[in-house]
Amino acid sequence: MSRVTKLLSIFVAYILGSSLLLAEGVAPSAAKLVEIGGFTITNSMVTGWIISLLLVTLVLWLIGKPSVVPSKGQAVIESLMEGLRGILEPIIGKKAFPAAFPLLVTFFIFILFHNWMGLLPGVGTIGNGVVDAEGHFHLTQPWIRPHNADFNGTIALALISFGAWAIIVFKYVGPKMILWDLFGNKADKKETPGWLYPFLSIVFLVVGLIEVFSILIRPFTLSVRLFGNVFGGENLLHGTSFIPVFYFMELLVGVIQAFVFTLLTAVYIGLLANHEGGDHAHDEEHGHAAEAHH
Amino acid sequence: MLIAEITGNIASAFGLLGAALGVGLIGFKAAEAVGRNPAASGKVLVQAIIGMALAEGLGILALFLA
Repeated sequence: MSRVTKLLSIFVAYILGSSLLLAEGVAPSAAKLVEIGGFTITNSMVTGWIISLLLVTLVLWLIGKPSVVPSKGQAVIESLMEGLRGILEPIIGKKAFPAAFPLLVTFFIFILFHNWMGLLPGVGTIGNGVVDAEGHFHLTQPWIRPHNADFNGTIALALISFGAWAIIVFKYVGPKMILWDLFGNKADKKETPGWLYPFLSIVFLVVGLIEVFSILIRPFTLSVRLFGNVFGGENLLHGTSFIPVFYFMELLVGVIQAFVFTLLTAVYIGLLANHEGGDHAHDEEHGHAAEAHH
Repeated sequence: MLIAEITGNIASAFGLLGAALGVGLIGFKAAEAVGRNPAASGKVLVQAIIGMALAEGLGILALFLA
């Protein structure tokens, strides 16, 4: 048999075999596993804990004892960190970067692995269920569910991102600078006509209010974006009986969504903390201060 | 006399249409930018990913909330 026919026959056998599983969607809310005194533990929580433990063990095992001449595992982790640093440092700026970088690397690796673990065999298909009248098995309580396929999981991540943003920005930028950045009149006083300047102040004030609203909405959009992509992907896979093409798409989506979450967190911090790009007034200020020191 | 009818989740459909168009336009302009200046490929990629994420996010919102 030629290679093409062999591949084709494997493909056909796979499709026929997987059609025995009734193509059903996935329930939006995670199934409860255990109830301990009024506090429910869902399957996505348990999966999250187990995978996080595995992830920590994997990274620690890869690195072993960190040394100046890296072992292979340490080299892998180092190359990942260098790559992320190269992308994220220009966005955040040098001041806030040391504080923000550990958080961002954690976000990236965490979300990446939790997205990808949803593609393993057995996720969402092993569990308790009922057998209906025709003898088909319906799964009502899966045991394994990706952490990011549960809206609660992604809200937790988004809230951590938002809290970290608030802390880093207030620490490295200062409340006065933040208020000026949001509401301050950025028109050049020497170049605008005198009658126009107060009007512009009001305009910038309103713009600042809109900006505050869009800032408050950030945890919501971060969480819904990640949840929608991962849960939608899982739903797609289960609903179309696990066609391999969608597996590749879900691999790509997993990487992209992890990258996007990390990048957006970095961008939100960098919008306020990055002064290298171009606050010309501040560059002049720093320039005068440097001259004064000399 | 009924000429045409549209049923189903129209609210989500319009939201996702907007999101898809937005992401496509960003990709179009990103490809053009890289074509003009291939050395800036990395930076253009970062900008494009950020823009696509923000545009797609609202579409996902429409899908699951409408």
